[in-house]
Amino acid sequence: MFGLLMVAVTNVIHAQVPADTLQEKIISLDGRLNALDERVALNESDLGKLTKIKVSGYIQAQYEYYQGGLVKPNDPVSTFFVRRARIKVTYEAADGIRFVLQPDFATGNLSLKDAYAVAYLPKLKTLTLWVGQFNRPNYEVEYSSSQREVFERSRLIRTIYPGEREVGAKLEFKPLAVPLKLQLAMLNGNFKGIEQLDVDSRKDVMARAVYSFKFPGQNIGIDVGAHGYFGGLMAKTKYVSDYENKMDSVDANVGTYLDKKWGGVEVQAFFDLWGGLALKGEYIAGRNAYPGDSKSNPYKTREFSGYYAYLIKNIGKKNQFVTRLDYFDPNTKLSGDAAGKDVFYTTLTFAWQFYLNENIRLSLNYGIPKNETNTTYPDDIKDNVFGIRMQAKF
Amino acid sequence: MKKNGILLSIVLIPVILTGFAFMQQTRITVKGSDTMVILAQRWAEIYMKNNPAVAIQVTGGGSGVGIAALINGTTDIATSSRPIKSTEVEKLKERYNTLGVQIPCAKDGITIFLNESNKVKELTLKQLSDIYQAKITNWQQVGGEDASIKLYGRENSSGTYSFFKDEVIKGDYAASCQTLPGTAAVVNAVKKDKYGIGYGGAAYAAGVKHCVVRKDDKTPGSLPTAENIAKNEYPITRYLYLYMRNKPTGETKKYVDWILGPEGQKIITEVGYFPVK
Repeated sequence: MFGLLMVAVTNVIHAQVPADTLQEKIISLDGRLNALDERVALNESDLGKLTKIKVSGYIQAQYEYYQGGLVKPNDPVSTFFVRRARIKVTYEAADGIRFVLQPDFATGNLSLKDAYAVAYLPKLKTLTLWVGQFNRPNYEVEYSSSQREVFERSRLIRTIYPGEREVGAKLEFKPLAVPLKLQLAMLNGNFKGIEQLDVDSRKDVMARAVYSFKFPGQNIGIDVGAHGYFGGLMAKTKYVSDYENKMDSVDANVGTYLDKKWGGVEVQAFFDLWGGLALKGEYIAGRNAYPGDSKSNPYKTREFSGYYAYLIKNIGKKNQFVTRLDYFDPNTKLSGDAAGKDVFYTTLTFAWQFYLNENIRLSLNYGIPKNETNTTYPDDIKDNVFGIRMQAKF
Repeated sequence: MKKNGILLSIVLIPVILTGFAFMQQTRITVKGSDTMVILAQRWAEIYMKNNPAVAIQVTGGGSGVGIAALINGTTDIATSSRPIKSTEVEKLKERYNTLGVQIPCAKDGITIFLNESNKVKELTLKQLSDIYQAKITNWQQVGGEDASIKLYGRENSSGTYSFFKDEVIKGDYAASCQTLPGTAAVVNAVKKDKYGIGYGGAAYAAGVKHCVVRKDDKTPGSLPTAENIAKNEYPITRYLYLYMRNKPTGETKKYVDWILGPEGQKIITEVGYFPVK
């Protein structure tokens, strides 16, 4: 009997030992699980910070062949080069607040393209404030080079908005209920790609408004807009070449502001016609001023006008045919021999895009500029350019 | 020799024909809304059964992911539980020179999920907004137990996330809201959490309690039933969409027409959503 009791007690003890062990194991595992939870929470917090950083960019490697008029004797008529090599880093600090930095590492052109901060104004999520170096508010300027269907912007835009960017502050208003965009910028007004400080005390102002009409039944969208530039350039020498290219050299010229004032209208129409079809155009006219430093290189004031018009046809999902006509007259007051070097240009560009995949685009581009002829330029300059480009975008 | 030739032909012809048929198979890719993924899969299964020459590949990822894939050219159809954003339309314009084609294909009521043991039965839109902005943090403040409210929601790539943010919260989500990948995960979390609250499509709402939602204090509450959603009486009703780059043609058009036809619309009801026709 005693023996049986001992066996029973031993069995009970043996049965309890695994239960205790199990309890210990549960406690131990619970502790480890809690520790893992903490580590996961920590990692998630770190990863959360990383997801605020977005890196994108593109590289455009191309080959260009130039007609003789563009190169000096014995200089090469063709070259390989990297047109753009940009990395854009965006940090989303909070909902509606972001910082953007975009350097360009293109051949012989290491430069800072974008460096700005954008913030929603408190309680007005439709109004954003931009400060720093950013694109001027204009359609062709703001249309990304990685998406643009021809290699370069029109001569008009390249002349009046050199380097595309400006340094200053901008307000952008996009109401929720209306398909409208309003932009108002205050800028240094002298950016050419490298300058960053203002050369005079007066700031230039730009304003732009765009309204989008939609006709969903017909799959048509039409954006219409206008923009204006209101600025000036202070003459720091007395030598100023006026609108008719006549030298004015009175002492009173020093310190006067030369007009930089123009206005433009734009339209972009999109149709779903056996694939996408877009017609885009803009006309700008006004007065511009160019800096100088001496009698031989005076300040210049010019009345100008110009336009560009694109026709873009998507063919299937991967191909695009593009043609653009652009015109720029840098001095509308004078023509023929009186215009001297200020001749007008009409440029016809044909391009073809092939989207190999979402990252790679191959492009052919042929630009045919035609200049006004006069005694300075008796013939059309042989300045056609053919190019092949591969763009890798990420 | 002649016999061998005939035998070879008998073997080769079906192989060639099969190969040819395979080459002829039209592939349609559908990507986007997690809310719609079950519905899109059911549509695809049944359509492919009746149309073997068409292969339809369906994946989720969220409405934002689907529309991004449409812009990148990696999907033919994007499913979305929210309307396309103006920034996304701009990208379509830039790349394809179209505005995209929007087709409302089903209706859905965003269901508010509560744990079955939760005493709270109904909430107003204002209370929901305050709960998800952490202005209301205890169930007692809305007639429940004295316990902290645990918030569950979707990831920001989700159309449901955006819709709920824009139409219900009308502000920012509280930092304490735990984001989960898919409505099924939200349902599962609320099922396990006595003090949890979540939201998502009605089709996923098994095992949790549906909360009655009131537009305001004066309006009677309603549940996301077919009748209430059809009459727009349920306050959090939305359309579910198909998006394409261009007007659909060929097999894609046939498929979209079928979805909008009686057979496709019937499947919507079977899955738990509500037809538009």
